[in-house]
Amino acid sequence: MKDRIEIVASGFGGQGVVRLGQIVGEAGVKQGLRVAMLKSHGTEMRGGYVRSQVVLSKDAIDSPICESPDYFIALSSAAYERFKDTVPNDGIILYDPALVEKIDETLNCTQKAFPAKTLSMENFDKPLFANTLVLGVVAKIIDVLDKDMVLDSILKIIPKFHENNKKAFQIGYDYTF
Amino acid sequence: MKRFLETGNFAITEGAILVGCRFFAGYPITPATELAEAMSLRLPQEGGIYLQAEDECAAMHLCIGASLGGYKAMTATSGPGFILYADPYGWALGCECPVVVLNSGRVGPVSGITGAPGQGEFYLMRYPTHGGNFETICLAPNSAQECMAMTVEAFYLSERFRMPVSVLADQLITDGFEDISVPENDAEMKEMGFRVWPRKIHQGPDFYPVTDELDIPPVVLGQNTGALCSDWTPTEEGYDIEEVEAHHKHAYRLIYKVRNNRHIFNHLYEKVHMDDDPDLVVVSYGTPSRVVNTAVKKARSNGLKVGALRLINLWPFPDEHFSLNTKYLVVELNWDGELVREVQRAAPKDSDVHFLGTCGDLPTVPRLTETFEKILKGQPLQRIGWEVEAW
Repeated sequence: MKDRIEIVASGFGGQGVVRLGQIVGEAGVKQGLRVAMLKSHGTEMRGGYVRSQVVLSKDAIDSPICESPDYFIALSSAAYERFKDTVPNDGIILYDPALVEKIDETLNCTQKAFPAKTLSMENFDKPLFANTLVLGVVAKIIDVLDKDMVLDSILKIIPKFHENNKKAFQIGYDYTF
Repeated sequence: MKRFLETGNFAITEGAILVGCRFFAGYPITPATELAEAMSLRLPQEGGIYLQAEDECAAMHLCIGASLGGYKAMTATSGPGFILYADPYGWALGCECPVVVLNSGRVGPVSGITGAPGQGEFYLMRYPTHGGNFETICLAPNSAQECMAMTVEAFYLSERFRMPVSVLADQLITDGFEDISVPENDAEMKEMGFRVWPRKIHQGPDFYPVTDELDIPPVVLGQNTGALCSDWTPTEEGYDIEEVEAHHKHAYRLIYKVRNNRHIFNHLYEKVHMDDDPDLVVVSYGTPSRVVNTAVKKARSNGLKVGALRLINLWPFPDEHFSLNTKYLVVELNWDGELVREVQRAAPKDSDVHFLGTCGDLPTVPRLTETFEKILKGQPLQRIGWEVEAW
């Protein structure tokens, strides 16, 4: 494991960006890691800009800021544009093509399109489970995270719809790019 | 020890409850709303009282009432609410009521930016009320875990000094999540360095002695003693009066009980790479210090002789840390420069004091590193956009 792993998720309010960061962080705590997770948001409850920054480390964390995220989960075009250039060459951008319309082909990092919203509509007839689908992919691509710990954290932090969340998580986890 | 991924607001609540806080009155405000929410859930579970007041002024007055009723009491807010404490803060100082006051800084002035951290109340924490003739104690944590520790410490100090003690946090640590360890028994609290002072009750007859002594129990109403809660000057016997000599004696106590007993809390600071008289000392408090620490460690690995000084005890200002005649860079979450003024005053006259301020966001490591290099090379700092580096 690297000294510190930085994960940024950003989109707009109501998508579960904070929840997503919280679940990744909770899994980190369960795995005995040190965790810092900052959330920044506008004044609106829904629709405003939101960002979660998660740092995972074996040691105490000094700066809680993700200046060069190893993983960036983009859930809106605005978020993508704002943070895409902070991702280093060995970093990964995970984005939902239904939400991020235009991709910057000049970036050197790996970019993975994951149709979370579409998959949620196909499997559950509503976009509600897009977030859990994304977490399935996150559990797969972030090496340090333990799959079961992420799922446990989802079930702990989201008190409702456990069966659908388990199903969505597995679909995300099994998705092949 | 239980571990959680939780907010600083949670950590503060649990810390307060651990040391016997059983009364909270407040008015919700981002980024301290979740603290009120947590208190409203947790206090009734512990047999305590949670009250949402009609405004912040009333909230702190209620805390004073609770303190006079024998409770360990606390209130919490952010900058726009903290200014409404001005009146009751004076009462709590003057009547020597232990109360813990938390301020989670956001960007000001006025409502400013709710969801972003700010450090605009450095001086307000020193002068939270009018009139002068008092000292204040303020502690500034830089993580969720330290929020808990400093809340615990604030309760300890407020009982021993018989006065309100404030904790100055910011949006990033009260709203942000971190892994937090919560002790489950006395042994674990001791292991974490938590100090606890139980509420004691003054039995008279000298309720307001003219002395700088600590550990004079607070006045508690209904204990077969007279007691005073007045906006006038208390006499030693506990009557109120408007009279010059009595007020001189009172002011002496309010100032010197703190100034003469700083050894109780002046160990609250952190130094990183400060053992070899660094060429540049980076001074900060609160969350910016965490980025500063990362940048200083990086600068050291690049051969720059830079050290970091983080103040936890902000007030009374710890002048003793600034005896080194060297270069200083003060990093703050504001553009006007507040802490930097105190550093300029406390540092030797011919030392070189610089300022780097940001508004609403922490400075980045590259920005700090570049600034260190410029200062060490003697290059002038410049105004970058709106952000003032030159001082």
